Amino acid sequence: MIVVNTEDVAGYNIVEFKGIVQGNTVRAKHAGRDIMAGFKNLIGGELKGYTELLTESRRQAMERMLAQAEQLGANAVVNVRFTTSAVTAGAAELYAYGTAVVVEPA
Amino acid sequence: MELVFDVGIFLLLILLGLFVGGWQERSHFASILRREQQMAETLVTQVKSFPSSMPGDAPPMLMVAEVVVATDYLKSFLAKLRNIFGGEVRSYQSLLERARREATLRILARARHQGYNAVCNMRYQTADVGGNSTMRSVAMVAILATGTAYHAAEPPT
Repeated sequence: MIVVNTEDVAGYNIVEFKGIVQGNTVRAKHAGRDIMAGFKNLIGGELKGYTELLTESRRQAMERMLAQAEQLGANAVVNVRFTTSAVTAGAAELYAYGTAVVVEPA
Repeated sequence: MELVFDVGIFLLLILLGLFVGGWQERSHFASILRREQQMAETLVTQVKSFPSSMPGDAPPMLMVAEVVVATDYLKSFLAKLRNIFGGEVRSYQSLLERARREATLRILARARHQGYNAVCNMRYQTADVGGNSTMRSVAMVAILATGTAYHAAEPPT
């Protein structure tokens, strides 16, 4: 499955548009990470716990989006975009969406 | 007695921010600069048109990287002072610069690891991670960066 965030794929032609595909996930932080992050906030630096949280969310959201694309019979997803929103004080939603297409080598 | 204790804790946090936080920020920037120099031959653009594209053994692929960086207590305190007078908040600017450059480097590293030598359509987004009320007092930013990695022709030397 070819996945890009541009509108077309270099070296390939889009022969059919299948439609919008999307995936989202809402993840909550857990208390342990919050405490570590609170400590890190005193000295600064990367908050690896939160980075991992975001990475996991992104992976899951993309998996769901690609599963939808496969169901539609597409072999590529173009123009992939991400948006996030804080749902409650302890959870964030990551939403991935793109256009499923069928491509063939140019 | 309570007051002395409170002031003591405050000063300790400020000093912690000044020395440990400042050192950590400087070493992070040094690491970023070093890795950027290593990645200098990679063509990075934010256009959608795949500049210098050349058919390679693999189709273009989406790359995503995220970074969450927090600033230290001293900088947050200085920023709060800024709120009184207004103006440029330089302490937060370096925080965002760090996060963005780090996210870009992660994308470049992943692209190179998979055999690509160019990335186009770089997009940056600030992701809202949220946080409980005790942490709202210190600045934390999450950057989500995406781009498309592809094969580009080597520039003529």
